[in-house]
Order: sequence, then structure tokens, then C-alpha cells
Amino acid sequence: MNNPQKFVYVTIIATTPEKLWEALTNPEFTAQYFFGTRVESDWKVGSKFIFRRPNVITDEGTVLRAEPPRLLSYTFQHLWDEEMRKEAPSRVTFEIKSLEEKSGKLSGPAVRLTVTHEDFPPESKVFPAISNGWPSILSGLKTLLETGKPLPLHLHLEE
Amino acid sequence: MEKPKFVYVTHINTTPEKLWEALTNPEFTQQYWGGRRVQSDWTVGASIKHTKADGAVELRGEVLEADRPRRLSYTFLTAAGDKVPDEAATRVTFEISVAFGVTKLTIVHDGFAPESKLLGEITNGWQAILSSLKTLLETGAPLPFTFPKC
Repeated sequence: MNNPQKFVYVTIIATTPEKLWEALTNPEFTAQYFFGTRVESDWKVGSKFIFRRPNVITDEGTVLRAEPPRLLSYTFQHLWDEEMRKEAPSRVTFEIKSLEEKSGKLSGPAVRLTVTHEDFPPESKVFPAISNGWPSILSGLKTLLETGKPLPLHLHLEE
Repeated sequence: MEKPKFVYVTHINTTPEKLWEALTNPEFTQQYWGGRRVQSDWTVGASIKHTKADGAVELRGEVLEADRPRRLSYTFLTAAGDKVPDEAATRVTFEISVAFGVTKLTIVHDGFAPESKLLGEITNGWQAILSSLKTLLETGAPLPFTFPKC
């Protein structure tokens, strides 16, 4: 029995699809808005990716689809928390749509980013954790792309 | 079975007081809310209305809770004959807190009928409105898009 729980988050960002793709796939960017996490992959279908914090790899997965700058999808396996690392992998998809194409009457570039995180096992512990994490990560991503600076979140992470 | 509702969380580089002002002052709301002026005296039991740029009233409601700058809740009743589906009153609640030194806004819009058409409309609407609200508070200008039919 599949778990119907699905996390979906939409945010509109004043940027271009290319810059947003770069911010999602380049570790120099992710380190600024993703709690210091560097994402590392060559972003080819079938390749592995990892999320790395200074002394720990927190998550890993396999690239399922990579169609820059429109669509990125990967499996997601949490590795850090003892309980959550036992769970089967879930799946993350980023869809990027330029709003100019849709309305044709913008005064500047804007894109709609839809993040879908799904395919959780029954009674997933990862699902509530990611549901809490994505809004702050994606808020930080939007702020970084629009202002050039990350959100000044004061986090006290174990390292 | 969980009842249909919309929940959204966004973290904004501002203060709770400025965020409250942006949610309740029509001079602010018309900048990011598709030109809508949201008007009320924000006391419990007071009426509230959303007026479009052309002066038409799109939504009416009643203030349920107003605990400045932490919590605001009002009923949300679409105006008959408008573009948005005409359904029974729903409820929207804004919760403002500070998380990790940054202002956190949680919006819960609930009270929808099981097969609500309004839920899909407000989901698209809130995602755009709240994205633009964050941009306005952080950069001083709203997102550069135009809402349809405004």
C-alpha cells in the first residue's frame, strides 16, 4: 500500500529559469540557502548526488531526470538520522516554468517553481521532517535569488 | 479523512510588526495582492472586504481573531457573480512567529466543502500573493507579474 502523503510547494521567484537551475544544482549556491549544505552531482540521469554538510553526508540519491532548465528529479535517501536512514527512498521533482511564457506581460523575469516530494513508505518519519524543512529552504532560495543575500537564519546545527 | 484545506509556510526577512502591517493595510495589500485593497478596522467581529482595482468588492468576511502581531483570522466569503466560485464562507488564519531569527508566516485556509472548486482557485491565488508579499517586504517592490483579470 503506497503512502498517499505528498509534499507540494509552489513559489514564484523574480529570476530566470537558468539562474534558478544553477541555484538548485551548484554547491556554491546551495551552501548559501540550504543550511550550509553543498549538493554534489554531475546531474546526468543515473548519476548519484549527495547533500554534504561540513563533516557529514546528510542525504543521497540518484538522478532520475535532468532537463535544464525545466525539470530535475531524483530519488531521496536520508542518511543522517538513525531512524530515518532505514526508510526506503522517496522522490523529489523540481519543475521550473517561466511566467513570461504564460502571461506575456511582465515587467521583469519571473519563474514558478513547483517542488513535489512523494513516494513515501507508510508511516514515514521522513515526510514530516521534509515538510518542515522545504519551506525554509525554498524561502531562503527565493531570497538569495531576489536580493543576492541569503535569509539570515540563525541555525545551530550539529556538525 | 482529513478535510480539504490549504496550508503554506514562508519565512520572510522582516519583523512580525511589518508583516502584520503588510497583511492589514490596504496601501500595502494593493501592491502584492493583485491590486486588491483589504479593508477592515481589524477588531473582532468587524467586517472586512477585499476591493478590486476597479472598485468591485470581491470578498467579504468577519474578523474572528486579531492578536497583533501574532495571529489574525477571518471568514472569507466570495461575492456572488464574481469570477471566483460562489461557495459557503471559509476561514483564513495567519500565524506570525519568529523562527531562527527570521519571521515565519503560516497561512491556513480551511472550512471548504468536500468537493470545493474554490480550494483550487485560492491555492493558485495564495501561492502568487504570498510569493509577492515576501518579495515586497524583502526588496521594497512586489514581484513583476500581473494577476489575470485585475
